[in-house]
Amino acid sequence: MSAASLRYLGAAAMTLIVSVGMYAGAPIYVLYIANLILTYTVLAIGLDVLLGRAGQFAFAHIAFYGIGIYTTAQITNHTGIPFFVAIIAGAALASAVSVLIAIPATRLRSVYLALATFAFAEAAQWVFNNWDAATSGPNGLRITSAHMFGYVLENDRDAFPAVLILTGLVVIATVLLTHSSLGRNMRAIRDSEHVALASGVRVQRVKIAAFAISAAYAGIAGGLFTLFQSFVHPDSLGFDLIVLVLTMVVIGGLGTLPGVILGVLLLGLMPEVLRNLREWQELIYGLILILAVIFMPRGIWGLVTDRRKSRQVRDVVASPSSGKDAT
Amino acid sequence: MTGSIYALIALSLVIVFKSTEVINFGGGEIVMISAYIAMFFLILFGLPYLVVVPVTALVVFVIGASFDRVVLDRVLGRHRPGQDIMVAMVIATVGLSYVLKGTVRLFSVSDDVRTLPPIFSTDPIFIGDIVLSQQDIAIFLISIMVMMLLFGFFTFTRIGKALRATSENPRAAMLVGIPVRRMRTLVWGIAAALAAVAGVLVSPKLLVSPDMGGIIILAFAAAIIGGFTNVLGVIVGGVVIGVIENLVGLFISSKAIAITPFIVIILVLIARPQGLFGGAVPIKKV
Repeated sequence: MSAASLRYLGAAAMTLIVSVGMYAGAPIYVLYIANLILTYTVLAIGLDVLLGRAGQFAFAHIAFYGIGIYTTAQITNHTGIPFFVAIIAGAALASAVSVLIAIPATRLRSVYLALATFAFAEAAQWVFNNWDAATSGPNGLRITSAHMFGYVLENDRDAFPAVLILTGLVVIATVLLTHSSLGRNMRAIRDSEHVALASGVRVQRVKIAAFAISAAYAGIAGGLFTLFQSFVHPDSLGFDLIVLVLTMVVIGGLGTLPGVILGVLLLGLMPEVLRNLREWQELIYGLILILAVIFMPRGIWGLVTDRRKSRQVRDVVASPSSGKDAT
Repeated sequence: MTGSIYALIALSLVIVFKSTEVINFGGGEIVMISAYIAMFFLILFGLPYLVVVPVTALVVFVIGASFDRVVLDRVLGRHRPGQDIMVAMVIATVGLSYVLKGTVRLFSVSDDVRTLPPIFSTDPIFIGDIVLSQQDIAIFLISIMVMMLLFGFFTFTRIGKALRATSENPRAAMLVGIPVRRMRTLVWGIAAALAAVAGVLVSPKLLVSPDMGGIIILAFAAAIIGGFTNVLGVIVGGVVIGVIENLVGLFISSKAIAITPFIVIILVLIARPQGLFGGAVPIKKV
């Protein structure tokens, strides 16, 4: 087994131990934060599929998150259908809408793609605010407790294992995606659309697939949200949230799974750290964004891998015989 | 009439995009902070608009130029080839927007929503059946004047020509001895000053609050209609957006006004991916 996969196995085991401990002993508020961070993890990994892996700069992610939330919530509220079916329905609907968007949007490049998807996200928020029958509009929607396998998930502690397991599945799916041929095609498009096209990658199709997968992640994140939240308001599904998720991805490290997870952890915990500085929050947040793009162009994970590489180089230079083991 | 203000803000976005390929998501907050700076001079010092407009423009010019010098220049400097610089640049401008908003919120003036005193009397003028207020006409004329000044600057002055050369082809501009870096900074300053003029002009009509930066959406729509690279198209786009907004308010519903710019952006881009008046999109090769 290679050193890298050992490290990941170690990280997974650590996560498991910490999680079991938290489930047993942590106060309910801590579990709420944990659920929120796990949900953001799914949301951020989904954005990273489109932005970091396929190189498509799109802003529509939160719209699909909203679709996932409202679909799952309404199914749970009005029918006896179990949660697992509801969350899949939410993800499928988000994915289907994203394909409709992707067909015209994938013809656009750079600034136009960014603005078109940005406009779509804002339009979707307007729909959430005005389609009273589906979303209760500006009154917000109450979400009843989800049920699965005969259990009712009433609070954050009940929801935590389910959220954790589903997030784990999403992470595993992402690793598989990265190593699949679809993942390779997406990377090829990100690095150069022309070369990808010339090498026989069906650019349009792969881009649409990237949109669909990314939106499905957002839909799943929306479903997770309904597991531990009892209320959703359209105002919370706006530009600020997409900026938050974008920041998590960029600060962590675009296109790197461990980086994105680190970014989510850091920025997810930040509001708790800055709790007493409420009026400074926006200013500090802006400064962090600016400093991060200046000093960490490839995110925190970029710094980590750079350091690891330079250490390896140093080892090789110091003793040529041990160089083989280091790599 | 408000269309001319949208056109001004859109122009500030477009000249930045043309010469630096950055979409400025902080543009709305530059408008917002300009309104507050103008309020500061108007109310605290009781200065007339004739003085306040240029002074505000100058202050905001410095803000824009220093943002480029202090932040964007460094981001570019650390950028490695092969990496998509656009994401980093957008994040930087979003950071700017949060910093500006956060700074304004620290002051207690931002607690209440305010409006600035009218620029001219709001008495109506009748031209046939059309009713216009003197203020609207003044806003319109000032915006036209600013645009003409800008046009003259870009066409006839040496620096203006150098700026255009830089945006057409930075490498060639560097070869003929144009200080490209300084030009970028200058463009950011000018763009910020444009947004500042727009901010002062719009404030007597709109509510001044830390969240008024949302106006940028309308400027985006105007810029999209105009094609992000065509300056004249953008001015037309601004006016068109202003007209469409009023028509939607009149004939559909006032609720639908909020969604109009987004629908316009989406429809225009579906019909013509490069905007109505935009040239072909340059393609990144290899």
